[in-house]
Amino acid sequence: MAKFLFIYRESTEKKAKPSPEEMQALQGQWYGWMQKFNSAIMPGGDGLKHSGRVLKAGLVTDGPYVEAKEIIVSFAIIQADNYDDAVAIARECPPGHTLEIREFAGYA
Amino acid sequence: MSQCRMSDYRTSEPGELVEHFFRHEFGRLVAVLTRSLGVRRLDLAEDVVQAALMRAMQTWSRRGVPEDPAGWLYRTARNLAIDALRRERTHAQALPRLAEDGERDSSPREAHFADEIGDEPLRLLFVCCHEAVPAESRVALALRTLCGFSTAEIARALLTTEVNVQKRITRARGRLRELDVDFDTPAAAQLGARLDAVLAVIYLLFSQGCHATHADVPIRRDLCDEARRLARMLATHPAGDVPAVHALLALMCFHAARFDARVAPGGAIVLLEEQDRSAWNWSDVQEGMAWLARSATGDELTRYHLEAGIAWEHCRAETFADTDWRRIAELYDTLDGIAPSPLHALNRAVAEAYLHGPQAGLDRLAAVATENVPARYPAWHAVIGELHFRLGRHCAAEHAWREALRLTTARADQAFLHRRLAVCRPEGS
Repeated sequence: MAKFLFIYRESTEKKAKPSPEEMQALQGQWYGWMQKFNSAIMPGGDGLKHSGRVLKAGLVTDGPYVEAKEIIVSFAIIQADNYDDAVAIARECPPGHTLEIREFAGYA
Repeated sequence: MSQCRMSDYRTSEPGELVEHFFRHEFGRLVAVLTRSLGVRRLDLAEDVVQAALMRAMQTWSRRGVPEDPAGWLYRTARNLAIDALRRERTHAQALPRLAEDGERDSSPREAHFADEIGDEPLRLLFVCCHEAVPAESRVALALRTLCGFSTAEIARALLTTEVNVQKRITRARGRLRELDVDFDTPAAAQLGARLDAVLAVIYLLFSQGCHATHADVPIRRDLCDEARRLARMLATHPAGDVPAVHALLALMCFHAARFDARVAPGGAIVLLEEQDRSAWNWSDVQEGMAWLARSATGDELTRYHLEAGIAWEHCRAETFADTDWRRIAELYDTLDGIAPSPLHALNRAVAEAYLHGPQAGLDRLAAVATENVPARYPAWHAVIGELHFRLGRHCAAEHAWREALRLTTARADQAFLHRRLAVCRPEGS
């Protein structure tokens, strides 16, 4: 079985905050997704806080978000036989983001 | 009975959220935090509650819903508020109050959280209906702060634009800030004085939702549910446990009972005359009857009593033919005396038509119209059309229905009028 990294990106464009009703619906959808693919979802996935640091050429700056069109908001580690299966799992995620799917190289 | 909605505040099963939990918790938490932060910081209260819900959404998605979701949200929102105040430093005086709440909360009594704070949403409702807040802003503000509707949802519910809703809310918050309204003061005496405004807002909310004649039917029905929720909340408090509130609740229950029967599967309106009375929600009717009985204590007669009485007459009739139009006509006469309105006059004329024939109804309408031509009421022309139609005057009926069609914007009403016009056309003109 292969491992895949699911990288969730959201647009940095200012958008309306979700309403409480929409948040409750999303919570239910995400929980349903987690339950359905419980055996495929490996431990370690998490959301990411919006603030960050970038180290580049010895210089530390606050997150690269000013210029970025999208930022990474969360990630998950998924176990699947192949890309097709991984994409099938990704397709059932609640909407609202771009989802990049990358297979682990297995060096570690 | 007034306790029956306490379940709103709790989950039915541990780990499972009741419908609208986030929305209702939003309102309750904003109210609770506003007690500590002050009405001036209504926006801060809303921001931290929004952030707490966001955090809940993300955490509960992964770990499931905690056993005490309301307590979880409260602790998170309170901590976010404390963080925000520390950053500001200028509002440090609210800090001790919040910290005190924190101590109280870490006690074993935390489980009773939902019962202990029952008063805050009610206080906030009275703040929203403060006389300094422009009338048209009150409903929007109540929907935002107490019912947890987003600006977009309020705009859809009130059939207006988001910009307009935002303006109304901003204006209301501004007025409250200017006046530095104290959250704690609308106690006892003031509660009573402002009750009329509160009832008017709740009734307006309900009426807006009643006309489920728009594409967004679910949102509109939500307004009726919210109106009833607020009124029930009101009735559980000594200041709101008064006949006018009971009467308003009865009225809303009787109307709500007929919702399902009023709309055909395709979204078309079904007239009272053609409704399947077995499809009425009889538990709503029963709740309404209980409120109506309670409203009869004391000697106060409000418009809500009369409107509840009229709605009850319709519920009471086993068939449309059994309707006691004489009693309804009397009630409309009294109602129009207390709260004159062209719509009451219109309904009175309908009762007249059932009592003494369509021409008698038309005569009544003609008499009223000379003083006060209600040109903007599509229902006025729709009724005239109906009465003419019943007299066999299809040409006049068509004319009136066309006028009604020109005035109405509600899709279901338009569809209804088109159906009536289609009936009329083969023989008409």
